[in-house]
Formats: sequence, C-alpha cells, structure tokens
Amino acid sequence: MLFSSIPFLYYFLPVVLAVYFLVPRSWRNAVLLMASLVFYDWGEPRYLLLMVGTILVFYVCGLGVGRVKGAGQRKVLLILSLVIGLGLLAVFKYADFFVENFAAMTGLNLPLLKLALPIGISFYTFQCVSYVVDVYRGTVPAQRSPIAFGAYVALFPQLIAGPIVRYADIARELENRHAGWEDLQIGLRRFLVGLGKKILLANQLGELAGIYRASGEKSLVFCWMYAIAFSLQIYFDFSGYSDMAIGLGRILGFHFNENFNYPYLSKSVTEFWRRWHMSLGTWFRDYVYIPMGGSRVRRGRWVCNILTVWMLTGLWHGASWNFVVWGLFFGLLLMLEKWLKPERLPGLVRHGYVVLAVVISFVIFGGENLGQAWQDILGMFGAGGLPLMTVQTAYYLRSYAVILALSILGAAPLVRNLSNRIPEKIAVVLEPIAMIALLLVCSAYLVDGSFNPFLYFRF
Amino acid sequence: MKKTRIIGTLCVAAVWLALTLGAWLDPAEEISVSERRKLAQLPSVSVKTVLDGRFMKDFESYTLDQFPLRDAFRQLKALVHYDLFGQKDNNGIYLADGSAAKLEYPLNEDSISHAVKKFDAIYRKYLEGTGSSVAVTVVPDKGYYLAEANGYPAMDYEKLFALVREGTSWAQFVDITDLLSTESYYATDTHWRQEQIVNVAQRLCEALGTTVPKAENYTAEEVEQPFYGVYSGQAAIPMDADIMYLLRSPILDGCTVYNHETGKTTPIYDLEKLGGWDLYEVYLSGAAALLTIENPQGDPDRELIVFRDSFGSSIVPLLLDGYSTVTVVDIRYLSSELLGNFVDFHGQDVLFLYSTLVLNSSSTIK
Repeated sequence: MLFSSIPFLYYFLPVVLAVYFLVPRSWRNAVLLMASLVFYDWGEPRYLLLMVGTILVFYVCGLGVGRVKGAGQRKVLLILSLVIGLGLLAVFKYADFFVENFAAMTGLNLPLLKLALPIGISFYTFQCVSYVVDVYRGTVPAQRSPIAFGAYVALFPQLIAGPIVRYADIARELENRHAGWEDLQIGLRRFLVGLGKKILLANQLGELAGIYRASGEKSLVFCWMYAIAFSLQIYFDFSGYSDMAIGLGRILGFHFNENFNYPYLSKSVTEFWRRWHMSLGTWFRDYVYIPMGGSRVRRGRWVCNILTVWMLTGLWHGASWNFVVWGLFFGLLLMLEKWLKPERLPGLVRHGYVVLAVVISFVIFGGENLGQAWQDILGMFGAGGLPLMTVQTAYYLRSYAVILALSILGAAPLVRNLSNRIPEKIAVVLEPIAMIALLLVCSAYLVDGSFNPFLYFRF
Repeated sequence: MKKTRIIGTLCVAAVWLALTLGAWLDPAEEISVSERRKLAQLPSVSVKTVLDGRFMKDFESYTLDQFPLRDAFRQLKALVHYDLFGQKDNNGIYLADGSAAKLEYPLNEDSISHAVKKFDAIYRKYLEGTGSSVAVTVVPDKGYYLAEANGYPAMDYEKLFALVREGTSWAQFVDITDLLSTESYYATDTHWRQEQIVNVAQRLCEALGTTVPKAENYTAEEVEQPFYGVYSGQAAIPMDADIMYLLRSPILDGCTVYNHETGKTTPIYDLEKLGGWDLYEVYLSGAAALLTIENPQGDPDRELIVFRDSFGSSIVPLLLDGYSTVTVVDIRYLSSELLGNFVDFHGQDVLFLYSTLVLNSSSTIK
C-alpha cells in the first residue's frame, strides 16, 4: 500500500489511528504490529511469511546473542542471523544478477530464478542486521518481547521505503512513548508536506522523465531537462516518503532521525552524502566501513575500503551494473575530494560541481542499463548528434517550466526560511489553512490520476 | 497560542475525517456521466482474491472511482494543473481557441501501415475486378487545425496522408483538409459537426460520381439537450456545452437503417440516443459493425459501401441522395476476413473514410 493512495489516506490510516489511540497503551505495539502486517500484506501478500520469518530469526538470534555468555556462541548466533538475513536478501534481490553475469562470463546457459523482489526487503533486512550487531556489540539489550521486536521491524511508517531506523534509536520508545497534541500537529504537518512533495512534485517530474524516455525525438535540451527532472524527482520522491514516515512516526509517538537535509545545497560530494539518505550512509559507515578499518589504514587498503563500501551502496539500490557504477562514481569522487581538497575553490564553483556530478550520477542511476545511461550522458554533452531543440522539447519545456522552477526552489530551504519569518500569531492560522489546501489538492491529484509509483520501492 | 495550534490541528483533522466518512458512507455511484463510463464497485472478498492481490487492486479502483465529490476533485486538480503549475495539458487534453483537443503525437507509422494493409487486403479480396469506383478520404482530427498554431506538438499529418495515398493507389484519394477548420468540430468533443460538413459530403459525392447534395435541401434542427463531448469530461475543466444540430431533408426522413447485429430498424437519427451518455450516437445509432440504409428515393441502380469509423456516422446521411442502398461497415467490430459472409460485393461504389485518430492508433482495425 502506498502512503500516497486513497486506500491508505482514507481507509487504513484513520482506522489504525483510531484503534491505536483507543486501546490501552500496553496494547499499542500489538496494534502497530497487526496494522503493519496488514499494510505489508496489502502490497505483497506473497512475501508476508518471508518478512515474518525474518523477524522471528532475528528475534531469536538477538535474544540468544544477548543471553549466551560464551563469546564463540554469540559469534555463531550473530553469523547465523547475518547469513540467513543477508542470504535471503541475496537470493531475492541479487541471485539473477549474479547468475546472468556468471553465465555471460562462462558462456553457460543457466536458468534464472525470476523471483519478484519483496517490497522493502533491503530496508527491513538492514534494520534487523543493525539490531543484532548492536546487541552483539552490547550497545543495546536484546528485545525480549516478540511483539515489540516485530513492531520495530515491520513498523509500517518506514517499512517499505525507509528511513532505516536503528533499534537503538527507538528502543526506549518501543517500551514507553507518549503522543500528544504537539506530536499530532508536527506529525500531521510533516506527513502532509511529504505527501505534497511526492504527489505534486515528484510525480509530475516523473511524468516528464517518462515522456523523455518514451520520446523518439530527443534533443540536447530535452536530455538536460530529463537529467534535472529525474534528479529532482528522486529527491522529492524519497525525501517526501521520508517526511511522511517521520510524520507518521511522530503521530504515533516515535522520533525517527532525519534522512535528508537539503542535499542539493552541498558544496562537496562528501557533504552531499551527509545530507542525502543519511540513514543509509551512516549504516554503511557503522556496519561496513568502520569494521573494515575505515580511514585509519594504509592508503591502498583505504582505497579498497572506500570502493567496497560504495560498490555495496550502489548494489543496495538495485541488482544492476548501473547501480554499481553509480556507487563507484561517488566513491571515486569522494577519494578525489580527499586528495585534491576542493574547499579552496569558490563556493559557487564547488556547488556547481556537486550539482553537475549528482545530476550525471542520477542519469547513470535512471538508465535501464549502462548503454542507455551512456547515450543519455552523450546527449547531454552534444555528442549524440541530437538537435539543440525540437517542437516537442519546446512544448514540454513550457509545460513543465513552473514545476521545474518550483522543484528547484523547493530543494532549497527557501520555504522553511520564509515560513520561519512569519510572526507566530499569523503562522498558527495560516498553517492549518495551508495543510488543508495541501490535503485537498493532493487528494484531487490522487482521485484524477493513476501515475503514482514510489521509486524507492524497488530497493 | 497553544490553544490556537490545537484548534488548527483539529481543523485539519476534521477535514480529513469528513473526507474519510464520505469515502466510507457515501452510496456508490453506478456511472460517471462526465467520463461516460461505469464506475468500479466494491469488490467481493475471497481468500483467492486476497492472496493473488486482485482484491487490493480492485479495492483501490473502487476507492478512486467512489471518492466523495469526485468530479469536483477532478476539477480542482485540473485547475491547479493548468493555472498554478502552468501545465499545457491535463491528461493529454489541451484547451486552445475555446476548444478542447487531445495531444495526438507523434505519428505512428506502424499503425498507419497496419490500417493501409487492411484496406488493401479488402480491395484485393472483395473489390478488385468488380468494377467498383473506390475513393479514400482521411478526416483530420481537430489537432490538424489547432495544435501547431497554438504551440502544441502535432503529428506529421502530411506524411500520414502520403502514406495512405501511396498505400491505396487503387483508389481515388480525396483531400478534404481545405474544407474544414477548428469550427467544423464540436468544442467539447472529438467529432465534426454535421451542419459544417455538407461541403465535405459534396466533394466526396463528386469523387464518387453520384448526386451531389445541395446545402439548401437541408434544414438544421437544433437538439434541445446540451452536448458535453468526450473531452469536457476528460479535461475536467468547466466548458460551455456545444449545441448539436441534425440536418433534415425529405429524403433523409424517408430512409431506414437496419442494424444487422441487433436486428432493429431505426430512422437515420435515433432520437432515443439523445437521452443517453453520448449525444453523438444520435447519428445512425452510434457504433455498429454493419448497417444497411435503404433510401426509397435513391437511384435503384446505385449502391454505396462505406468503410468508416465514428466520423462516418454524421456524414453518411449526407451521402445518401443518389443511392438506393448504403452499406456501412465498421471493421473495428467486424473482421474484414468475414465480410464476404455479410456483404455481397457486386460493383457498388466504395468509400473508405477514416480519421487520423483511428489511423494513428489502428490496432482495433481487424
């Protein structure tokens, strides 16, 4: 089920909130777990058991890691849970990718599994891994209640598109949380802002990207329009979903960490990744990069560490060479930034470099394969023999100019800064009016249209 | 201030709750008049449909179709889309010169080729050697006159005409583009207005060598009901209704239309259809696979076969004067392979009349 859908907004969510706030507090985790299972089953009935199985494996292993005294036994339990969790992820997400490439290398004719990707598997697997590793490290105690643990893993606000919420961050709130008027107000606002980002901006930008992809009449300007639109689409799509997740969490009494912080303002790629999908970046830092030695190793090993982490970051996004190259592209840029120290350059130049690098990276990300991505990049730089402009390009440029301009402005904290300047007396009146307008317009777009896919669902 | 914030939050929640209650409690509508379609109803639940996901999919369609104030929300979306976001079209429909039209772009050469091959096959199988006089005409859609002039992308119409002309070299190609303009079409609909196409009928009759209809022989009768065409529903923008006219003449009043599928005989103008969703169906009762029109005042030695799409419904009555029998065939509903079972080809005049809309999306032509 999508957050940005009529069944979620007007059927599922009102019922869940009503039940959640009506039952005694001690039942709330059970309500959340049940609601989350229904939520997951709605979109992925085939794989409900897979998720429940994953929860049970990590619950039992976590409990074991927490209780068993012997270091060897704890390690065995940790490894067992990691092998099962990451093994399932590998089978469902990467098996065909590896088989295809192995077959291509060896010339063997190997059958593909052709398994559908279980929604949200990358997110909930990473949450489970972080939990069991943290229990192993002694950072958090193991969760004894299977209901509380199940509610944590399956928590519907962040189940299928993140952010990756670490157990340690919400362990206390799983046991005891309070949701008051302020939480409702802040959570509602955050949810509706996310809904607006998704429906009013990301979906429109996605339409433009789709038109470009289907067009047989590309031009240099159209290639750039696509690259910019797709880069903005993926930002508003994902940050919109994160906003909705954080908002819903807040309504329910959870305080999830931020996942985006205006990444397009960055003046280096290093900074970009501190502002973009922060929960993924910190996950790889804490559970892969630092355990590998991080930067406190010899230069050769450090290069190896960086490339491994970024290759895995790319692969996490999908089983395709596009994502691998996308990840390695960022790895290379990060290393170059370490060596070349671009902070000496003027801020505008650094900002331009980051925007260009990120836009190119998302063209790689958005291609169906590397060949298509390469053609798109060639087109952007005039090497594809494309005309500068066509009638079709001019039409869509005019048609999407406002959306593109609003999206570019929306990617900066302009609206936030302006709204902060409004006197509070006026703001308390204006805010609910704006929220109601947003709800009505978003509902209108949902009622009228069907173009509504979440890009991050495939991860 | 805290109290004001709570009241504000309650207001947002109240609107949400009101829409929720509307979604749950509003009785389900059967049809959408503006979109001319049946609306999805609450699907039945079974273990099978839940497990295979069909229930969820159907339930989503139901919630979209049965949302409270659905048409008002669609209108709100269209207004925001056009006026706030400056989009030039909504669901592929654009407004220009007071008329709504669909973006028809780009030219689908494979589709044109498919249609032309079907026409050619019909000629080879049924018409070659029969002595029939064959004409082909292509009805340009509204976009031919509206799109480029208003900055909208348009298909390569000249190429389309050339492909049809070259593919049907056994027929006389009749160009009618100079006889039409934006005003020849309903502002809210895809079709042309009957009272604006007498000149087109005259040119086609000249090409077929039959009696050319005289404009003064017709009386335009205004239809009482306002005509909201298919684009008014799709654009979701409030548009003034079109006024529809029926061209009457003593010859037309004496004609009968036999529908081979239903076995019913009706007059040329089926006034019962004026009470339905689509007023355009008043012409020859709308979509039909095979019709035979009898004209008691026509030349008993002359007959006509028209292969047509929906544009044919309003112009065929204007081609009748010189013919005693006119057979109207729609090969979207009747396979051209089976035509011989229903139509006797014996040297009648033949007209292929298809719009650019159908030619550019011709997979339905059998």
